[in-house]
Amino acid sequence: MANVIGSTIIIEGEISGDEDLIIQGTVKGKIALKESLIVERSGVVEADIDTRNVEISGQVTGNIHSSERVEIKSEGRMTGDIKAPRILIADGAKFKGNVDME
Amino acid sequence: MPETNTIIGETILIRGNLQGDEDLTVRGRVEGTINLKRTLIIEQSGVVKAEVSVNNAVISGVVVGNVTASDSVEITQSGRMVGDIHAPRVIIVEGAKFKGRVDMGELPQSRAVETPAARKVFAPVKSAPQPVRPQAAPTRAAPPPPASKAALKEEDETKIVPARKKIVVKKR
Repeated sequence: MANVIGSTIIIEGEISGDEDLIIQGTVKGKIALKESLIVERSGVVEADIDTRNVEISGQVTGNIHSSERVEIKSEGRMTGDIKAPRILIADGAKFKGNVDME
Repeated sequence: MPETNTIIGETILIRGNLQGDEDLTVRGRVEGTINLKRTLIIEQSGVVKAEVSVNNAVISGVVVGNVTASDSVEITQSGRMVGDIHAPRVIIVEGAKFKGRVDMGELPQSRAVETPAARKVFAPVKSAPQPVRPQAAPTRAAPPPPASKAALKEEDETKIVPARKKIVVKKR
């Protein structure tokens, strides 16, 4: 059982929680999770993200602060800065921004 | 690809505006506004503090705010709601808790005759003769005659003397 923000859903504001969240729709604002954020192909996120893991197959604009891992998959597009100990950018992915693996 | 239901899990909090074109199940918390073209299901663990505008709403959790539905609103046995409901169909089952107003819109014609609104049409006829004000009612709005004696005791005499000398004299 996962949290899914469906493809027709648009959220403007803040999302917080401590379980996984799958985004197929649009979220603008801020996302703070204690677990993983998965942005699927249809997902559009314009938000500052603060989570443990992030997996991007859709489109993300904003800064990511992750305590564990950020992965931009081959369909993923991302604009913004990433700060995380482990960052993976797959072949085919598009990314523009700063990376800080500290 | 089958249409997925959006689920807001138990630990999730959303603050802001949420809109969409699919069913939404809330097990966590949503504060702000919800605008859906489908059904909003608030499960027992769900808490919604929002202005809600949906097609259908099924409330088994807690709702604080006004709900407008183009079809129906149902408050189930475990549902609790504070706010106004505006929907053509409203279902409140036994055990449900609700505080607020319900507006189901225009009632069907056949029953319209018995509605309070219909009675109002006749009401003015019965009480048609408006109480005509006593002659000496100048621009200064004087208290109605029956109450004036009692009122006088409490009111400042100096104010009343010029307008109603007679009563002042009686009092003394």
